[in-house]
Amino acid sequence: MYVGWNPYQYMARSGILKKWADKYNVAIKVQRFDYAPSLDAFVAKNIDACTMTNMEALDMPAAAGVDTTAVIMGDYSNGNDAVLVRRNLTLAQIPGRRVLLVEKTVSQYLFERAFVLNNLAGELKRVKYVNTSDSDIAGAFLSDTSQDVVVTWKPLVSQILKGKGIANIFDSSKIPGEILDLLVVRTDVLIRPDGSGQRFAKAVVGAWYELLGQMSKSGPEADKVLAAIAEASQDTLPSYKEQLSTTHMFYTAQSAADMTASAQLKKTMELVRQFCALHGLLGAKATSADDVAIRFPDGAIEGKPDRVRLRFDVSYMQMAAGGKL
Amino acid sequence: MSLLQIHGRPGRTAAWMLSWFLFATGILAYFWVSSGRHKDNPDDRVMPTLRQMGRAFTDAVMKPAEDDEIAPDWDRQPVFTRMRNGMLWKDTTATGRRFLVSMAMLFPAVLLGLHMGMFPYVSLFFQRFVLFFDKIVALSLLPILFIAFGIDELAKVMLIAIGVAPTIVLDAFNLTRGVPREQIVKGFTLGAGDFSVTYRIVFKQIWPRVLNSIRLNLKGVMLFLFAGEMIASTDGLAYRIALLRRHMGMDTIIPYVLWVALLLFLVDLGMRVLNRRLHPWFKEV
Repeated sequence: MYVGWNPYQYMARSGILKKWADKYNVAIKVQRFDYAPSLDAFVAKNIDACTMTNMEALDMPAAAGVDTTAVIMGDYSNGNDAVLVRRNLTLAQIPGRRVLLVEKTVSQYLFERAFVLNNLAGELKRVKYVNTSDSDIAGAFLSDTSQDVVVTWKPLVSQILKGKGIANIFDSSKIPGEILDLLVVRTDVLIRPDGSGQRFAKAVVGAWYELLGQMSKSGPEADKVLAAIAEASQDTLPSYKEQLSTTHMFYTAQSAADMTASAQLKKTMELVRQFCALHGLLGAKATSADDVAIRFPDGAIEGKPDRVRLRFDVSYMQMAAGGKL
Repeated sequence: MSLLQIHGRPGRTAAWMLSWFLFATGILAYFWVSSGRHKDNPDDRVMPTLRQMGRAFTDAVMKPAEDDEIAPDWDRQPVFTRMRNGMLWKDTTATGRRFLVSMAMLFPAVLLGLHMGMFPYVSLFFQRFVLFFDKIVALSLLPILFIAFGIDELAKVMLIAIGVAPTIVLDAFNLTRGVPREQIVKGFTLGAGDFSVTYRIVFKQIWPRVLNSIRLNLKGVMLFLFAGEMIASTDGLAYRIALLRRHMGMDTIIPYVLWVALLLFLVDLGMRVLNRRLHPWFKEV
């Protein structure tokens, strides 16, 4: 369970979502999944909306031809993803060593960005990735002290850092705004002729910002909400707060809308789609990154205009910001 | 009609048709749904078409994995060289090596079972513990395995050994106990020592049955091997499947799964034939 997505669980339990769903006359069910199966279910069109990172939105549904629209820009990882080492290694010492990570995920993206930003891109070829399942990666790294490097995300990062002699040498706070957490909806659902898709999006967005408003207040009232969110996903308040401290939540709809409409998002998505293309994540057919195109709120398109598969839609966040929901 | 009678005698055509019917319906149903999905979404990756799978499989056979160094003239090399550098070959040899090592580690398990069956002191020492150990779900103790064996090759092989060996020990033990006591007594009266009785009378009789029991445990071996490769690995068939799953590379995964099934079938067949050759008197297979 990832910090930026935990609120959805509470949103459903607390009745906030129900209130908004009733207002827009739609039925919404929140179902908790493990991350990978949730993506599979979304791609197989068993679910209408799903939380995922910007990278997975591109390389899972979009690359599999499922036209996808991001309606909520939830947060970005501001330290949640990290490169951890033993024996005080530096990035430059990693080539030639083994690195535990879940290959072809944001972990690998973060790791390779770290190398690029430190002018070590040429050395990446000498890094030996060990694909490690995320359910065992903490145990594997902590138990096997011969392993030098691991790249993973919170709460695993916090758990691993409790081990002896382990240091964080690079984390996502050094690439702010690049690992984004989105709520995406299938475009064909969103544009259903009876308008139910739009009502659905409005209800979810409305409920989301009502809850975030409660979370961002300070004092005991917000703590109560945070504790309930943590509890809904079997976490504790201190642990959840610690995770929030390395997550840049877009608490207001306006800030989320600004990020979605920004030039920075275009730069980020350019990096992400080149990463995906380089590692063959866009499928056998897509020979270049351009075959899975991305459309931004201002109409700009990265890739072939006739192959738009991922869209960023700022309108719902703007409606929320303008109090029009 | 003798359709539902014990004495029914299906003819040649009926036998052929009946035994292939489920295959045919399965395949047809797959392609029917798949083509429907592709009409709806030409980029669908969940249920690839035959052509997509064919192309992905050829790529897997002929092309190196993407993270490997590619020789600049790789597409001009002879087919066999290309296959040897291909992704499928690399994965198969990696998995195959682990498989052979773990099969070799089952041999001591057979000997242990044999000695437990023959020598009361050995039996007392091991039996209760092995019985207990057999019921332990090894996969739930992974962190401890990581401490003891690291996370590399040794850990994967040990996972199989811990998962499958106790079953083989107990089976060999039971088979040994099943050898008629009279034969052992007879061996002694004819002047054989403890070890000649154990190896030349009992072992020879249980060996074909033990081979058979190993054969029936192949699937267990393979399951543990796959689990190990999915936990942490840099190569192997299950590693590739785990990796491809991350971006829905079903066009490669399905041929890979069929390839694994074929390999397992061949190993099974090989062991059956070997057993029949080595022990023509043994009729239980």
